Amino acid sequence: MNLDGGAVLHADPEKVWSVITDPAVLARTIPGCESLEQVGDDSYKMQVSVGVGAIRGSYAGEVRLSDKEHPTSYVMHASGAGAPGNVRATVTIGLAPTGEGTALTYSADAVVGGPVAGVGQRMMTGVAKRMAGQFFKAIDDELTGAVVRIAAAPSAEVRGVETAPAEAPRVFAGNAAAQPSLSPDVQTVLLGVGIGGLLTALGVALGYLLGRRR
Amino acid sequence: MTTKLFGEPVRRREDVRLTTGRGRYLDDIGHTALAAAFVRSPHAHARIVDIDVEAALDVEGLVAIYTYEDLTGRMAEPLPVLIPHPQLHAPRTGYPLANGVVRHVGEPVAMVVATDRYIAEDVCDRIVVTYDELPVVVGVDAAVAAAATVHDDVPDNVSAHHLQETGDVEAALRGAENTLSFTQYVERSASTPMEGKGVHARWDADDKSLRVYSSTQASTSVRAAIAAKLELSLDRVEVIAPDVGGGFGVKIVHPWPEELLVPMAAIALGQEVKWSEDRREHFISAAHERQQKQEITVGFDDDGRITALDAHIWHDNGAYTPYGIIIPIITATQLVGPYVIPVYRARVESMYTNTVIVTPYRGAGRPQACYAMERTMDRIADKLGLDRAEVRRRNLIQPDQFPYDQQLIFQDGRPVIYDSGNYQGLLEKLTALVGWDDVAGLRADAESRGRLLGAGMALYVEGTGPGPYEGGHVQVLGSGKVLVSTGLTSQGQGHETAFAQIVATELGVPIEDVEVTTGDTRRFGYAVGTFASRAAVMSGNAIALAARGVREKALRIAADVLEADATDLEIDEGVVQVKGTPGTGVPLRTLAVLSNPLRYAFDEAAQQATQFAGPGDASLPPVAVGDAPGLEHIDYYSPVRSTFASGAHAVIVEIDPATWEIEIVKYAVVHDCGTMINPMIVEGQVHGGVAQGVGGALYERMAYDADGQLQNASFMDFLMPYASEVPAVVIDHQVTKSPLNPLGIKGAGEAGVIPGTAAIASAIEDATGRRIASMPISPTELYDLMRDENAERTARGTGVLT
Repeated sequence: MNLDGGAVLHADPEKVWSVITDPAVLARTIPGCESLEQVGDDSYKMQVSVGVGAIRGSYAGEVRLSDKEHPTSYVMHASGAGAPGNVRATVTIGLAPTGEGTALTYSADAVVGGPVAGVGQRMMTGVAKRMAGQFFKAIDDELTGAVVRIAAAPSAEVRGVETAPAEAPRVFAGNAAAQPSLSPDVQTVLLGVGIGGLLTALGVALGYLLGRRR
Repeated sequence: MTTKLFGEPVRRREDVRLTTGRGRYLDDIGHTALAAAFVRSPHAHARIVDIDVEAALDVEGLVAIYTYEDLTGRMAEPLPVLIPHPQLHAPRTGYPLANGVVRHVGEPVAMVVATDRYIAEDVCDRIVVTYDELPVVVGVDAAVAAAATVHDDVPDNVSAHHLQETGDVEAALRGAENTLSFTQYVERSASTPMEGKGVHARWDADDKSLRVYSSTQASTSVRAAIAAKLELSLDRVEVIAPDVGGGFGVKIVHPWPEELLVPMAAIALGQEVKWSEDRREHFISAAHERQQKQEITVGFDDDGRITALDAHIWHDNGAYTPYGIIIPIITATQLVGPYVIPVYRARVESMYTNTVIVTPYRGAGRPQACYAMERTMDRIADKLGLDRAEVRRRNLIQPDQFPYDQQLIFQDGRPVIYDSGNYQGLLEKLTALVGWDDVAGLRADAESRGRLLGAGMALYVEGTGPGPYEGGHVQVLGSGKVLVSTGLTSQGQGHETAFAQIVATELGVPIEDVEVTTGDTRRFGYAVGTFASRAAVMSGNAIALAARGVREKALRIAADVLEADATDLEIDEGVVQVKGTPGTGVPLRTLAVLSNPLRYAFDEAAQQATQFAGPGDASLPPVAVGDAPGLEHIDYYSPVRSTFASGAHAVIVEIDPATWEIEIVKYAVVHDCGTMINPMIVEGQVHGGVAQGVGGALYERMAYDADGQLQNASFMDFLMPYASEVPAVVIDHQVTKSPLNPLGIKGAGEAGVIPGTAAIASAIEDATGRRIASMPISPTELYDLMRDENAERTARGTGVLT
């Protein structure tokens, strides 16, 4: 079963493509991302901390990109496992130019297992929608420079966090791994959970559960 | 001799435990369990447009949220119609969680599981459900008008047309010397047990087994329902009714949505989950009863003898019919009471309304039936200028007419045949007990004090102990302890005492040695449930039969040991001995050890038993063919049909003509439930029933507004009688044994509530001279009635002060 959704991003598809496939950007835009490690071409390991109800927990996951059609579509294969359960998902992402910039669409197919599968689909959908929303807002802020403005105001430490990945090119620290002193505004942005694909996949339990029925 | 306790007023053995805080109720179980709470519909009829959980996700401690979309397999199907009937042509039931449409305030829409109940409630508050409201049907008159419908596919709001008839009533009415017709109403009330419903579930993922505690009146059936709905094998599910703080009928309904959803969540989450119903939930989402509109036409001769009776009744069944048309059937069949009705017809239209479901509440259709019949008697008396007791006397079934076939079909599908009774005896005892012939003097005395006084009476016959069966298991252990179990449940009726009395008497053991367990499927798997005044009749007889089986086996083993004939033996104080020869015997506990040829000497009893063990016949198997190890026996009691108890109540009221406060100054009960196991328990049942009868007549109602909102869904707003409003009850017993069962007993659980509304309405009418045709009645309503120039007056018109 599919879970479909989308977002409007304020930059042209070419720019969006470059940002959304940039591990350094992903590491700091994925809500709850503690680390993202490139392990091969278009292949990453990551650690995501999720914090809602029985979905709460730290998930170790892998993400692989395939079928890349620059700059219009790619497929993300995500899997994750943690104490609350495991998720496996295939997400097709499409980019199309619009008057405002880019219409991003995603279509996910996922299987959820373990206790996390028992928390009810509205809760999982709600968590996934929220996480996807936070992720795309963070991406959009990257594209429009909003992050810089927010970060600039309160302290230099936030900027420091953002520039940290440059020190270690293959391992990208996520904002969730950041140390104290994040401003409340920034914390709000980062409050949610995991990577768009993996987290959306949690919500795609909808499909899993509907598939189980009858 | 202390072992012959049957019939004695033995103090209830459970009371010390229950009154000193050592009861173990549902909420005492599972301190570490996750808590469930429910989002319930605030609308009486609406389509669900959206359920938005976004705002709830931030609540710390949230674990899970379930809606209809999470229900799979048989859980996604409508809840069962427990008791289908050919005349229930349009049965409808809800879903465990609403599937797109809600049809009464309180219908469950979402279930939240959280680390505790406070958090679960906080989450519920933050779940936003968007509804599209639909037209609402409240009350039988609106249901009949059918300007709106509760179910799209039931355009007339009628779920069932129930018919019982014994002849051509219209022809008989045309030929009657006199006829009269009237319409009257009864309002809703409810069981309202002190402890609401509750469910605790624990899933053992390794053992693949589920243990559920439920505050239920039918643990074996809850077990079967859970197994079926959650698609588990029956042997993997056990259900236990712990101490239950009252049921009064509402907990016989099963499976309640929560009884399925809580186990579902426990399995899904792999953690213990518990839900305890709160008071508001109980008011709006459990069940009510009683509301009916009754149109009665009666034909009678000039002596007041009824020749034909036609009752047309509209029964409010609420939004769904999970319990079928049991209440309409009971009303229709029990309406005839203790009287000869030559030609009778009852039609009951069971109507859907956008209110909580209607299922049996103590009395289950009988209070309304009694109200219809007894008020008919009052009207005949008024019309002919006869004494109300005399009219009843002339219509009673005579003692030599038993068994008396009313030519009707009862709720158990069996004929309404009164097995035994003495209704004249009841009436004579009642008039003496209440001082019926002295009422004129009492009235004069009251008037001298500026108060109105009136008397009323009501008689009833109550079908009790319907089948199909109950079972009992009795086992004597090597310790001498006697274990007794039966599958039906207890809600405070004193079963631990009454059943122990039966076993102590049948088996000849001290009651202290007897331990009774009820409602635990681990101990007894087959049962029907505790309702319809059936526990003593059904399980009482089954347990007696089981005890007799144990006795027979004990005597057989003892005969061998004592080298005596079994017929020469008796059991006294737990010792089998040759009759009249104390000191020669062998204790039951020793026989229990001897009954099992595998006799490892774990304890003293086993060591002692060896002195009695013979060498045995080496050519025979140690356990004979057809025999079994152990001193135990299981037996069942299955009656051919219900047994019919009876009774008569009379009440004297005084009314203050300034405030129209109605005070009960005397309440007399004559009660006949056949042989009594324990008269103290019977009287306790009568007292409780009378209290609920008084509540139903004067105080309790479910104040639904036209939008289907229950406006008094709390104990702040729901008026009930306190000790100050419940009169001292004087009781006289009459014992007419039932010929249908070994112990000769009839049920007693519901009796006390049945005649209250009828008798009190009659007394108020007698005091005021105004026709009372709608019950309950409050002082305000009585005030308005007294000032209504158009209010119907009785012919006798007694006692109106101005």
